Amino acid sequence: MGLFNTLATALGLRKREVNVIVVGLDNSGKSTILNHLKPDLERAADIVPTVGFNVERFKAQSLAFTAFDMSGQGRYRNLWEHYYRDCDAIIYVVDSSDKLRMVVAKDELDALLQHPDIRPRRIPLLFFANKMDLKEAMSSVKVTMMLGLEKMENKQFHICASNAITGEGLSDGIAWLTQAAEGRQSKT
Amino acid sequence: MMDKKNEEDGSGNPFSNLEKTSVLQEARTFNETPVNPRKCIHILSKILYMLNQGEQLGSTEATEAFFAMTKLFQSKDVTLRRLVYLGIKELAGVADDVIIVTSSLTKDMTGKEDLYRAAAIRALCCITDTTMLQAIERYMKQAIVDRSVEASAAPQLVSALHLMRSSPDVVKRWSNEAQEALNSDNVMVQYHALGLLYNIKKSDRLAVTKLVAKLTRSAPRSPYAVCMLIRTACKLMEEEDAGTESPLFDFVDSCLRHKSEMVVYEAAHAIVNMPRTSPRELAPAVSVLQLFLSSPKPTLRFAAVRTLNQVAMTHPAVVTACNLDLESLISDVNRSIATLAITTLLKTGAESSVDRLMKQISSFVNEISDEFKIVVVQAIKALCLKFPRKHGVLMNFLSSMLRDEGGLEYKASIADTIITIIEENPEAKEAGLSHLCEFIEDCEHTSLAVRILHLLGREGPKTKQPSKYIRFIYNRVILESAARCQMDSDDEVRDRATYYYNILDQQQAALNNQYILNSLQVSLVGLEKALQAYSQGPADQPFDLRSVPVAEAAPTDSRAAAPEGSIASSRKPEEKVTATRQDVFAEQLSKIPEFQQLGPLFKSSQPVELTESETEYVVQCIKHVFAHHVVLQFDCKNTLNDQLLEDVTVQLEAADGFEVVATLPCARLEYNVTNTCYTLIKLPDDLMATVGSCGATLRYVVKDCDPATGLPDTDEGYEDEYLLEEVELTVADHVQRVLKANFGAAWDEIGDQNELEDTYALSAMKTLEQAVKQISQFMGMQACERSDKVPDGKSSHTLLLSGVYRGGAEVLVRARLALSDGVTMQLTVRSTDPAVSEVIASAVG
Repeated sequence: MGLFNTLATALGLRKREVNVIVVGLDNSGKSTILNHLKPDLERAADIVPTVGFNVERFKAQSLAFTAFDMSGQGRYRNLWEHYYRDCDAIIYVVDSSDKLRMVVAKDELDALLQHPDIRPRRIPLLFFANKMDLKEAMSSVKVTMMLGLEKMENKQFHICASNAITGEGLSDGIAWLTQAAEGRQSKT
Repeated sequence: MMDKKNEEDGSGNPFSNLEKTSVLQEARTFNETPVNPRKCIHILSKILYMLNQGEQLGSTEATEAFFAMTKLFQSKDVTLRRLVYLGIKELAGVADDVIIVTSSLTKDMTGKEDLYRAAAIRALCCITDTTMLQAIERYMKQAIVDRSVEASAAPQLVSALHLMRSSPDVVKRWSNEAQEALNSDNVMVQYHALGLLYNIKKSDRLAVTKLVAKLTRSAPRSPYAVCMLIRTACKLMEEEDAGTESPLFDFVDSCLRHKSEMVVYEAAHAIVNMPRTSPRELAPAVSVLQLFLSSPKPTLRFAAVRTLNQVAMTHPAVVTACNLDLESLISDVNRSIATLAITTLLKTGAESSVDRLMKQISSFVNEISDEFKIVVVQAIKALCLKFPRKHGVLMNFLSSMLRDEGGLEYKASIADTIITIIEENPEAKEAGLSHLCEFIEDCEHTSLAVRILHLLGREGPKTKQPSKYIRFIYNRVILESAARCQMDSDDEVRDRATYYYNILDQQQAALNNQYILNSLQVSLVGLEKALQAYSQGPADQPFDLRSVPVAEAAPTDSRAAAPEGSIASSRKPEEKVTATRQDVFAEQLSKIPEFQQLGPLFKSSQPVELTESETEYVVQCIKHVFAHHVVLQFDCKNTLNDQLLEDVTVQLEAADGFEVVATLPCARLEYNVTNTCYTLIKLPDDLMATVGSCGATLRYVVKDCDPATGLPDTDEGYEDEYLLEEVELTVADHVQRVLKANFGAAWDEIGDQNELEDTYALSAMKTLEQAVKQISQFMGMQACERSDKVPDGKSSHTLLLSGVYRGGAEVLVRARLALSDGVTMQLTVRSTDPAVSEVIASAVG
């Protein structure tokens, strides 16, 4: 089985699987982003607050992504860690118009980065500074500063301003993630 | 050799010998990506198997396994996903944070995959709690009215029923959807919808009545729903105490003509079980059941005959109409049906048909299961009580049943029946005892043998030839020296051996009489307490057994308690040593400082009502008799919701010689709360003066209060009083019932030095039974040697009574009764105390 898998992948017959967890505060747009990444036919018409998590799959270029869309509500955030160990990449979604809770987002991010399952690993982190279309939205640079990303060690990261409703900026981010994940996988 | 071993392994259960830790270790495979469905299915099956075998997981273990399992949601494998649902349901109770799968499940239950939806709904209901339910309520409601029946509506309705228990308020909001589902074409959905609707409205009787009324006008198509409707209707009728004139009865009656057999049976069953039905209303139901009796379907025959069997208890006459059909069922290939048919016939049949029926039963009794054999035995028991003259045939039959194979329960029920027959019917005694003797010759059930030996010990000496039974008893005795028995490994053997050995060693007839022929009569709990107190205090004088409260003799009347003709509950062979009601009272009273010096509690009377049952205040009195005092316990209840009573006492106008020593008020008496106040009375020394009555008045301070909150309007109350009925102290209050197993020995033991004898004419009594009952009641004494049972058709009878008077004096009474235009009684009283003899004799006069 193992041999067949590698062979099929090497010949390009089968897409390689990547596990991603999607986290971020509630109402930041995680489910909406994933909804937009799915093929048109499978898209849901309306997005409701997630309770717990959902599993979504989407394809991008040479990779097949399995995304664990985690609930961002306060009482479920402590459940994220159950899914840290097996992920190959993290997507962190921020509501760039929500200045007030940016510190909360930073807190949660720091807790994530300090987690024993994450800290020692060189995992690619993709940030979406979502809701860029809103008037009061901050730029991605401002968000980088507020989250203190420049001080982050031992991780490669990328930040994109995005609009999950129209899909603007998403492909850019996913392209980077694909590249980063592929690089990581070929190394291992 | 090798092959053989492999074969054995292969044939066994692949999941046997699973070890918890290793299986949980394997569960980590779930975390791997990509998911390997084949492997995961196998592991998950192992976990499920393990859980269903009763393996318990700790909270951490379960949580870890649960979260590993949630990763499997990424696989699209249908089998795996369905196993995951099962896993979620199993672990929902143990693991933490199970709500994590809520969104995943809601997605599956609203998704396109039909295979997922039903299972997802069920799993969701297991993990959800009240707060979460509100968030997903929308989906739940949608599922109820979903058009896809198997996948959604039916399971959702059932799940909603389960959720009623945890979150009734949320589910109550779904009644519109349930109402809509009730109009569904699917029989199952209709049934479950009705079930849910009923449960939602259960607490509101008006709503249920409306629902039932509406549905009875246009009955649902689903036969299941109609059955449910019939049950609900019957329950309503019962609650409203409605008779057959109720429209609901018409509905049930009309269901007798329904096209579904299930509904017809349900309706017939309902009608025959209604409490107040006349033969006229019963007739159609019974005739429907009669039709079923000849149905080709065994289930219908069974249901019908079983129901008729029950009805035969209450309305034997109506069932007689079916006798012909029942007769033909005796040879039914299904033995359960045959048994029920015969026992029904036994209940309805006449005395003349007993012999024939018994012959028929014996032809197949070996082929039926123990459970049905017991049914047969019980029918025979009822028959024996009904036709005492038939005891010969029946007893022979029972003894042959005793010889056959069978479990303990079956054998016990036969032995019980024989014992009952012996007790009820003196003519059957000798035959019954010899059957039982034969049985214990080869009996594998020790408990039964012990019971029968005990019976032989009790009844044997009174038969014509006691020596006949000694052989059987000897056969069971392992003759050992008393010294060895005192070192037996069984506690009870050891204790009894020591007890009897020491008494016999004294070689005193008096001791033998008191402690062997008649066993120890004190309350064991009381004895333990008294000994404990004695061993702690200074011990100048020997322990006085008379200071220990006497145990009240257990009521022995089994037949009077059970309604005539029904299966009398089998009597417990031995009494359990538990704290009796009196011990509980003794405990309560000893906690009150004023009552601590009174000594041991001698007797507590049954509660006596001092008010009518539906008055403003309800007061009950219990009389606790001590050596020289009486404590009157008044249990008071205030039934006025706008009054708060304070400082409640009962004031007594004591009769001559009685002295009220203390009254303990009850501080507060709130609405509908029972509370207690006490009055302590010192009894006069002259025994003849200890009988009398005292006027009683309830005194209290009233505060008006708000009915809703129970808080008083003002701090000031006013005094008031309420007249109660008189409190009476009778002779019976001073006497404790004591059972003497051997009355003759006790009678001779006391001797005639304090004997009183007199003859009375009891003109008010019309029958011997009435006289026996009244005399026992007046004196408060225990009838011995079953002398409270008057054989039918006798014109004279001897009643033997035994008791202990307050202070510890034994008293025995022999009353010779003769029926002659009223009852004439020659009363002989013996006691260890002359004054007591006098008091007891005065009780009748």
